[in-house]
Amino acid sequence: MFSKKQTLHFILLSGCLTGYIWLFLNVSTPSLQINDVSICILKHNTGIPCPSCGATRSVLAILQGNFFQALQWNPLGFLLVLGLFTLPAWILFDTLTGKTSLLHFYTKVEVGFKQKKIAIPAIALILLNWYWNIHKGL
Amino acid sequence: MDSQKVDMFIMANGKFFESHQVLLIRDRLIALDDSKWSTIQTLQFKDPTTSLIISLLGGQLGIDRFVIGDTGLGIGKLITCGGFGIWAIVDWFMIMGATREKNMKKLEEFLF
Repeated sequence: MFSKKQTLHFILLSGCLTGYIWLFLNVSTPSLQINDVSICILKHNTGIPCPSCGATRSVLAILQGNFFQALQWNPLGFLLVLGLFTLPAWILFDTLTGKTSLLHFYTKVEVGFKQKKIAIPAIALILLNWYWNIHKGL
Repeated sequence: MDSQKVDMFIMANGKFFESHQVLLIRDRLIALDDSKWSTIQTLQFKDPTTSLIISLLGGQLGIDRFVIGDTGLGIGKLITCGGFGIWAIVDWFMIMGATREKNMKKLEEFLF
C-alpha cells in the first residue's frame, strides 16, 4: 500500500507530465493546435465547450508572454501554469526533506472548498467562465 | 455486539463496501460496544452505482469526484477538462471502487 503522500505525489506528477507532453506536442506540431479541442469528449460529442476549454491555447499564450490574449482564451490557464511550474518543485522539495507540506496544503484546500462561503463563489466563477466560453464560441 | 444486528447491517449495507472488507467489518462490528449501534445504524453511505451514473454524465467536469468528497481531485479534473478527457474515462472504471473506499473510511472512524 502507498501512503497518502505518495499517492498525491504520483497523481500530481503524472498530471504535470501529461501537461508537459501535451504542451510539447502542441509546440512541436503546430497543426495539432487547430484540432486540440477534439481531445475533449464533451466538445466532441455536444459541441459545447467545457469550462476549461481553451486552457491549452491560454497556457501557450502565457508562455509566449501574451498575458492579455491568455486571459481572453481562458483565465484558468494562469492557474494551470502556476501548477505546472510550482508542483514539481514542491514535490521535489517534500521528497528531499521528507516533509508533508504539500499534503497539508492539499488537505487545507479540500477542507476550505467544502465551506459554503468559499464553495459558492468558486462555483459561480466557474459557471461564469463556462458561460463566457460558450459565448466566445471556443 | 449482537451478531444478528451485525448481519442485518451487513445485509443492508454490504453493497457499499469492497467485498474483501466485508468480513473485516463484520468482525470489528461484533467486537464493538453496543452503545455505538444507534450511531452506526444511522450512517449514510454513498451508492457506488449513483456515482457511476454521475461519472458518466458529469465526469468531464469532475462532479463525480466532488460528490464522493474528493474535492481536490475534483478541482484538478475540472480545470484540466477532465484530465485531457483521459482521466474522465479512467474514472468511469475507478469511481465505484473510490466510492467504496470513501464509505470504508467513513465507517472506520467509528470502528477503530
